[in-house]
Amino acid sequence: MKNRVLSLILAQLNMNFAISHSRYYYLKKRQRLWEGILIVVSVIMTAALLSFGVYKLACAFYSQAAAINQERLTLVTGILAAQVLMLILGVALVIAVFYFSNDLPILIPLPLSPWEILTSKFAVILANEYLGLLVFIVPLFAAYGMRADVSIISYTLSSIIVFLTLPVIPVAIASILAVILMRIVGFTKRKDMLTIIGGFLLVLLIIGVQFYMQTKLSAPGDEQEFMIQLLSQANSLVAIAGKQFPPSIWATWAVSDSGTSKGLLSLGLFLGVSALSFGLFLAVGNKFFYQGVLSGFEAPTAKRGTLVKKSGRAQFSERTPLLSLAVTEMKLFSRTPVFVLNGFIGFLMFPVMLVVLLFMGNDPEIAGLWGSLVKMPEFHSIGALLLAAYFFLLAMFSGIPFSSFSREGKANIWFLRSLPISGRTAAMGKALAAEIMIVVGAVPGLAVLEYIARLPMTSLIIGVSLGIFSSYALCIWGVLLDMARPMLDWTDQQKAIKSNLNTAIGLVIGTVVLFLMGYPVYILFRRGYSGLVAQAISGVIIAVVLAFGLKVLGVVGDRLWSSIEL
Amino acid sequence: MAKAGDACLLRLEGVRKTYRGSSTKAVDNLSLEVAPGEIFGFLGPNGAGKTTTIKMIVGLLIPDSGRIIVNGKDMVKDPVAAKKSIGFVPDNPNLYNRLTGLEYLNLVADIYRVSAAERIRRTSELLSMFDLTSAAGDIIESYSHGMKQKLALTGALLHNPPLFILDEPMVGLDPRSSKLFKDLMRNHCDQGYAVFFSTHILEVAERLCDRVGIIDKGKLIACGSMDELRTLSNEAEESLETIFLELTEPEEAV
Repeated sequence: MKNRVLSLILAQLNMNFAISHSRYYYLKKRQRLWEGILIVVSVIMTAALLSFGVYKLACAFYSQAAAINQERLTLVTGILAAQVLMLILGVALVIAVFYFSNDLPILIPLPLSPWEILTSKFAVILANEYLGLLVFIVPLFAAYGMRADVSIISYTLSSIIVFLTLPVIPVAIASILAVILMRIVGFTKRKDMLTIIGGFLLVLLIIGVQFYMQTKLSAPGDEQEFMIQLLSQANSLVAIAGKQFPPSIWATWAVSDSGTSKGLLSLGLFLGVSALSFGLFLAVGNKFFYQGVLSGFEAPTAKRGTLVKKSGRAQFSERTPLLSLAVTEMKLFSRTPVFVLNGFIGFLMFPVMLVVLLFMGNDPEIAGLWGSLVKMPEFHSIGALLLAAYFFLLAMFSGIPFSSFSREGKANIWFLRSLPISGRTAAMGKALAAEIMIVVGAVPGLAVLEYIARLPMTSLIIGVSLGIFSSYALCIWGVLLDMARPMLDWTDQQKAIKSNLNTAIGLVIGTVVLFLMGYPVYILFRRGYSGLVAQAISGVIIAVVLAFGLKVLGVVGDRLWSSIEL
Repeated sequence: MAKAGDACLLRLEGVRKTYRGSSTKAVDNLSLEVAPGEIFGFLGPNGAGKTTTIKMIVGLLIPDSGRIIVNGKDMVKDPVAAKKSIGFVPDNPNLYNRLTGLEYLNLVADIYRVSAAERIRRTSELLSMFDLTSAAGDIIESYSHGMKQKLALTGALLHNPPLFILDEPMVGLDPRSSKLFKDLMRNHCDQGYAVFFSTHILEVAERLCDRVGIIDKGKLIACGSMDELRTLSNEAEESLETIFLELTEPEEAV
């Protein structure tokens, strides 16, 4: 008899990666087999390209670091970035997988302990993290291993162990924080809103702690001591850089010094703390998970009778179908914690990080860089274009347009599809909602940028206008992409938005469009054309991308809409 | 809003559907008509093709061949116009849980272009009938299964559709709501509109329907009034249940 936790893990992984589902549709029923093959080939090719890029970057970084006797900085930088990113983005992921999965009503009535369910869900999160790490960490380890003087066997072995353990600590910390948050939220009436606020506060807390640890070490006054240490002691920067997240230091030593007593000790420490954090998570989870998840099952307190009191024309205001679709879409998005935590995180993180970097960091290099940028003759034109790029990047990274139809899921898409609306209207409604959310979300970042850059009103208007049109163009293309291949069959809302392949494809499309828009502008500046010309050219490119998107939507929108069969 | 008035409100002509990757025809050469003022019951064993047929009628699936005409409009060629004449409730109506009942109804009214005055009148009337008035301001997540079913029915009736399509509408309704709903279907048809619904509850179909269609393995094997079906089975006193079981008996059992 198979261990039931193992059974549970295998079933969860099967659902997460849609293994049986894909086998049934692609292999048995041979439905859209070409699409399956295309996806696998595209994913492998993109992953290979990214891996190659990371490898080359790591090699270049290694050469630079080795010149100052700090080659292990290559490893610690990569490991640190991966762990911090997993920690920051982990909060939303954990909340989605633990508390908003469709399978919870099936799992909870089974005779399972909370820790058993949590272990299986934790395994699902780790599996997802490994996919990202494969592209990022494996080439990094390879680059270091090829260049440094290491023993192949012990280096490979340590690398594999560290790779497999790498997500455990950040995911466990994010899980502990999320479980505690959801337990607290469970006591309250406005669970969804508090989940959103709490989730964002946790992310800010994580960023704040790391910032504090980083600045504490590079505080002014230590500079001379720091330089002496840097020059006299090899790889001293590892300890300093890794202070943001200490486990990254142990992971680095475990890999770089594999086979030595220092490496083994670091590996032991890394594995020990990983096991400890996982154990702590299970203990906390076992105590609080059910309370949090069961409170989520409780129907919100109904205040029956409200309609009778409020009844009046205001509640029955008429809107056009397009506007009504867009308003409904925004309501649904903003009331769903997992969507908000994933989609809006960039809206919050960018201004916060900008404030931290420019006002609290006291970094003379950044201040110098900023100072020289402001003195550039075309600064106002560049600033306007950077504002436009900000809108575009928010649309690109939020995942909102690329998951417009996927978010409906199999449960709800029947409703939209049965309404008397054309594919074009459905898509335009979704794109409009996405654009409004992006524009509103851009306001905090815009305020910070304007406070720093002090752009004149004309540049501000030009920048914002270009930004609105460029992000709207991306929204149209994103909605089109998601209409062509909506991911409706998901087990948790996270899969509909950030773990959706369409969001990844959207990043690639966005990068290509950004390059198409940015490169001509760069060339124009290089050749000494005025900023106005660059802005005009950008406007023309954006108009072409938008017009082409609308044209494609008009031509294929209805056909794509009909092809979403249920 | 579309008005009833054509010779028939729903016409299926040689409709076929085979799911990709399957060799079995889910619906095979199905033809039927539903006239104004008619309640049409659509019966069949599990997996016979009832839901597939309904999904094609409301535009959720595209037939491989054949035509579906709703109130004079072709569902494949002009789906938006055809859908305007339909009010649809599926077998398991998942609604937007994070909207309030009223927000949901307003969305439906906006899409079907129901005027503010008309939506106030219809909403109040239907919510009151289904005893949902006091819950309309709450989010749908707080509703019971039956309440969600009733809200879906309210939404589907809000624009007074000429053709009301329902997949297993009685599931989840309490006896009082069920009775109300049956009266409502009859009243709807009395206005010259039509109702097409699938059900497994044969007693309801027998008592309520003007005509009944029985589908098995994708083919329409019988269609007509109760008297016509009894003639088909050569037994004047037979119940619909007996006729249904006779007609849909598995081959090996014959």
